[in-house]
Amino acid sequence: MPPRLRCPASRGLGSAICPSTRIPFQSAAILLSTSSVPTVSLPTRQYATGAAPALSSLRLPDDYVPPTKPPTARPSDVRKSQLLRSYTSLLRSTPLMLIFQHSNLTAVEWAAIRRELNLALASVSAPGTEDIASKVQLQVIRTRMFDVALKIVEFYDPSKVAPSTITLASGVKSQTVYNHDLSKAAFEAVQAATKGDKPLPESSTYAQISPLLVGPLAILTLPAVSPAHLAAALSVLAPSPPAFPPPSKKKSPGYYDLTAQSGLQKLLLVGGRIEGKVFDIDGVKWVGGIEGGLEGLRAQLVYMLQSAGLGLTSVLEGASKSLWLTMESRRSVLEEEQNGGKQEGGEKQES
Amino acid sequence: MITRFITEVTTRFNPFSARAKSARLFLSFLPPDARANGMSITTQLLPRTSTEPSSLHVKFKDGKEMKLNCEEMGIKSVVEEVDRHSRILQKQADLNDS
Repeated sequence: MPPRLRCPASRGLGSAICPSTRIPFQSAAILLSTSSVPTVSLPTRQYATGAAPALSSLRLPDDYVPPTKPPTARPSDVRKSQLLRSYTSLLRSTPLMLIFQHSNLTAVEWAAIRRELNLALASVSAPGTEDIASKVQLQVIRTRMFDVALKIVEFYDPSKVAPSTITLASGVKSQTVYNHDLSKAAFEAVQAATKGDKPLPESSTYAQISPLLVGPLAILTLPAVSPAHLAAALSVLAPSPPAFPPPSKKKSPGYYDLTAQSGLQKLLLVGGRIEGKVFDIDGVKWVGGIEGGLEGLRAQLVYMLQSAGLGLTSVLEGASKSLWLTMESRRSVLEEEQNGGKQEGGEKQES
Repeated sequence: MITRFITEVTTRFNPFSARAKSARLFLSFLPPDARANGMSITTQLLPRTSTEPSSLHVKFKDGKEMKLNCEEMGIKSVVEEVDRHSRILQKQADLNDS
């Protein structure tokens, strides 16, 4: 499409041209030809600027906005494309995510809940996890966008996209890979995976988690799988007394505020995604209850394997030991009999 | 949805079942100050493996109890059922006021 020179927009190309003096017809034609036909080589353009000194004022301002793409009034973080990109990057980076349903919480209630959550997380002391608490986020998500982001993360592999040939403005053809999350390749991969009536395989994470994505949702994301932090978050957001008791009244009086309590009543833990696997509430609580984090789990595994080895050796030993014991007892019996008068029995048993 | 005349809402659902949708959406339709205005809301979440049907019980100020079948009904028909009774109560309340 040739550029529209006369446009009503204040920042359009017209206003950029206006302050200049009368442009010679020829140089204007050259300008048009350079912008519409991409095959003009570089020396020609140098000739054009050299011939007409008035053209230096024709340079577009740095904040030039093309009239066909007016600047958006939306803040960048709620633009859908930006939202989708932030969700996919969040899903790829976070190993631990809890999903909550929130039913009409007010802003003050959110503030109170976030304050109590940060207080509880800050008081967690686990070795090697000092900077987790500051990076834990409780955020409200747009459910449908999140659903799309989950599909992209699961069904689209950016490394498998073939490069496509494009023609640059200078006429040179080059190979470029368009594999970002908003690309056509991503869209097609997702369409191919979810199209049709056939149900998704049970093993896919998306098929398991998609029933959860209904209604207003909020997610709590942790940058690492740290059961201690998860336990602290659970005790604030979804307390269940024996394992995850709510914080004491003396320690955090703000938790028992009317606003915080009414907010917590409306927050409902529905599930979680931990290390790419989907867990329900009991599963999340189980992960929160692991003593000593991943190290603790590894120690448990090592202990289990060691004790299994011990058991095996004792079982193998046991057979020969019991054989020896029976033989020994038999021998003692025979020896007693031999002392009683019979000669042969003891000799045979010893050989 | 008219929530003025609802006194009690009891829901039971398994969030991993697709049929729990209308029960969950009904909870999100209740106003933010519902509990402060005396409505008692109880939610019980079932474990993932449970196949128990999701249920929604609504009690009104005049004592009427409604057991709504969320398995089959969408949120629109649930709201319609609840509003049908709420409107009767609304009419009576308006007549008493004037």
